[in-house]
Amino acid sequence: MTRDGRSLIAALAGIVGARHVRTALPERITYARDGLPTHRRVPGVVVLPGSRDEVIAIVRLLAALGVPFVPRGAGTGLSGGALADADAVLVVLTRLNRILRIDPRNHLAVVEPGVVNVRLSAAAAPDGLLYSPDPSSQTACTIGGNVAENAGGPHCLKYGVTATHVLALEVVLADGQVVELGSLSGEPWGPDLVGLFVGSEGNFGIATRITVRLLPIPRAVRTLLADFAALRTAGEAVSAVIASGIVPAALEMMDQSCIRAVEDSVYAAGYPRDAAAVLLLELDGAQESAVAADAETIAGILHAHGARSVTVAADAKQRERLWQGRKKAFGAMGRLSRDLVVQDAVVPRSALPDVLETIARIAGAYGLTVSNVFHAGDGNLHPNISFDGRVPGLKARVDEASGEIMAACIAAGGTITGEHGVGLDKLRYMPLLFDGDALAAMRAVRRVFDPEERVNPGKVVPVHACREWVGSVNAERGTRNARADVRSDFRVPTSALET
Amino acid sequence: MTERGGFEGLDSCVHCGFCLQACPTFLATGDEADSPRGRIELMRALEAGELAPNDPGVALHLDRCLGCRGCEPVCPSGVSYGRGLEASRALLAERRGTPPLVRAALAALTGTGGDMRATRLVYALARALRATGVPGKLAGWGRLRFAFGMLAATAPKDGGRRWRSVEVGGGRPRANLHRLPPPSMTSPVLLFRGCVMQGLFPHVHAATVRTLEVNGYAVRDAPGQVCCGALHAHAGLRGEARRLARANVAAFGAGGDADDAPPLIVVNSAGCGAMLKEYGHLLHDESDGVGQRFAARVRDVTELLAERGPRPGAPIDATVAYDPPCHLLHAQRIAAPPEQVLRAIPVLRVISTPDAAQCCGSAGLFTLVEPEMSRAVLQPKLASLAQARPQMIVTGNPGCVMQIGAGLAAAGSPIAVRHPVELLDESYRAAGYYA
Repeated sequence: MTRDGRSLIAALAGIVGARHVRTALPERITYARDGLPTHRRVPGVVVLPGSRDEVIAIVRLLAALGVPFVPRGAGTGLSGGALADADAVLVVLTRLNRILRIDPRNHLAVVEPGVVNVRLSAAAAPDGLLYSPDPSSQTACTIGGNVAENAGGPHCLKYGVTATHVLALEVVLADGQVVELGSLSGEPWGPDLVGLFVGSEGNFGIATRITVRLLPIPRAVRTLLADFAALRTAGEAVSAVIASGIVPAALEMMDQSCIRAVEDSVYAAGYPRDAAAVLLLELDGAQESAVAADAETIAGILHAHGARSVTVAADAKQRERLWQGRKKAFGAMGRLSRDLVVQDAVVPRSALPDVLETIARIAGAYGLTVSNVFHAGDGNLHPNISFDGRVPGLKARVDEASGEIMAACIAAGGTITGEHGVGLDKLRYMPLLFDGDALAAMRAVRRVFDPEERVNPGKVVPVHACREWVGSVNAERGTRNARADVRSDFRVPTSALET
Repeated sequence: MTERGGFEGLDSCVHCGFCLQACPTFLATGDEADSPRGRIELMRALEAGELAPNDPGVALHLDRCLGCRGCEPVCPSGVSYGRGLEASRALLAERRGTPPLVRAALAALTGTGGDMRATRLVYALARALRATGVPGKLAGWGRLRFAFGMLAATAPKDGGRRWRSVEVGGGRPRANLHRLPPPSMTSPVLLFRGCVMQGLFPHVHAATVRTLEVNGYAVRDAPGQVCCGALHAHAGLRGEARRLARANVAAFGAGGDADDAPPLIVVNSAGCGAMLKEYGHLLHDESDGVGQRFAARVRDVTELLAERGPRPGAPIDATVAYDPPCHLLHAQRIAAPPEQVLRAIPVLRVISTPDAAQCCGSAGLFTLVEPEMSRAVLQPKLASLAQARPQMIVTGNPGCVMQIGAGLAAAGSPIAVRHPVELLDESYRAAGYYA
């Protein structure tokens, strides 16, 4: 270990206490992946601050030393976004897990970034309120991570993604400055800085306090399960539902492979195993009669568009089971094969039937298993590719197939991520969508917050593809160009894997 | 043992992280290395030889795992975390040996040092000390004082001073019972006695026998039985666990009537029950599936009672909190039967705290060898129990009785912790079943 490394560790320990600084290789290895385990980066040091003040002190220390750092919540992200390299410090925010305030009269809450999504809704429930964005990982993921990724979830179809629900932020910028963005009544003036920060994938700093909007728990809810004999029919039914003018709270699709994985698990929800696809729809509102009427209309539309059956959840318990099955589907993919790549792309809703068939064709051509579980109402696809990483050459084939799927989505008028973010995983697709000028503009925005590009370096914008890097076409490997700006090159080379 | 010794159970982990919030140690530290997903990374690296079993960074976090298996029932991919953990601990024990404290505790409590007389003496002394009432007075948070609290928590408790059995409908409760038909058939079952249960909880064994008999089971003894081996397996001492398993298979094998299927084996300790049900895995390579067949005969006492109703007893006017032992709820997936047993007691109010399913931090020898983490895991449970204010806590595992009991005593709470069959037994006694 270099002297720089040792003094950094000592200084970090001085801030948070030695037990909250993780330096041993095995400990750092446990932080080498997120929810998309095909990416692996072993961080140089892991630090777990316990308070906002400790976060600020850490960021100021790292600014003084010019050391890069990466904020991380629960590590359930799906783009390799919360990984740090060996010369960076991983700042883990799980201990900042206090709900600071719930204001039931003004329908808002103030939380620390490490609060687990579902715990906020649980805490607000006695006041008849909930925190609406509900990513499938909501039982594990943190609100801070949701802010960084602008997380979505099934109910974002009607209620909007995380950005819709964040009112104000206290942010520690890369240089240690603490700034307030937004206010309880939205952005007080000028550009929407909260909107800019939400979804910045940890590139703009660390949010230490997050003020979010809470919504009333809907008084009337209907959850419908429709099953289809063909994927295409299900895709067409999605467009028919939306065309009806009724906006469902959620409209999700799962294909047969997903259905079976879930039905084999503890989250078995009673989805029909022989269905080619199921749609899970929710309708909600304040009036029981209105929601019931909508449900009837929608059931009629589903039947008219080829649903073999439409069932309505009989009670809250069955509704919960239907949702648990959907939300844990991604985690159940381990039943199909030991390795998994989950993709995230958006296509125009009307293109769903064609794109689903294209994906199936690509999977067939590469001899891969693809399972689809996704937010159909938003056209937000999640093809899951299951494979066995021990088979030589298979991972390369998976990467090629992923690239083809992504190209097909772009060709259909879509984009490369709906909610998982770019992180490391989508860097290679950014030049497919943006030219050098556009990428350079993104980078310029980032530099307003973080001129040295020290926070979560190497993610989101493939800097080698930016205009100022013309000549290099290898965007995928362009994970770090800010070296010159970084004054310290401390390393903790305690690993046999690294040397 | 399977070819990969249990590591294959980890293969289906896809790193989703849905286990994180089910892990008591992750909740205590917020550190991925103290989470199931982080430990799976460590275990996979151990199996692959990328990390050494004597690396302190590996050992610290695997040692700090309670083995509560709370991560298993929430895992969508059905990862067999417990098997991977035991395989890893076997590697650790092989490389660095067994810590002296663990050796000493195993020898004293389970007799596997080879000297059963010494173990019997240890328990006799413990019971004598317990009878003086001194340990209860010394109970506290320090390592030794917590141990005194644990010992005090094992004492038989008389509920009579805290509540009265209620007579309903004006008549004597037993009057109702004569209307119940006698159990149609009497099934023989063999009682698994275990080591700590036999040494410190003989009153629970007695209650088990009595309540089972009321419900039509004839409880018999299986001579020659030994400790189940759970503490050994958790400590990575698989050889000793297998030796004990073979001894138990032999002792219980001969219990049946010549031509009939061998009788079921009843166990009233969740930890032992979970281990006995794992004999199929433990003795995987033994001839003709003896372990598997043994495991298939094992039932928790609450499973047997629930199967027969159980017959209702006399009312007890009290509020109790049921706290499911991890090795019953997570490892054996037994959720309803203990509550069915408690429902056989009229008037009794059974409540459940929001985090009831979370480990209490006992985890066998864990409370002795990892006191700091153990207490950190216990704290949230004590806090929610303090809020719920039950008159008694009911749980079906000796470790949990001792851990929660010692925690309550240290916190100055008079609330007692008992086994569900003890309560049923009291209810049956009041109902006149034993008259």
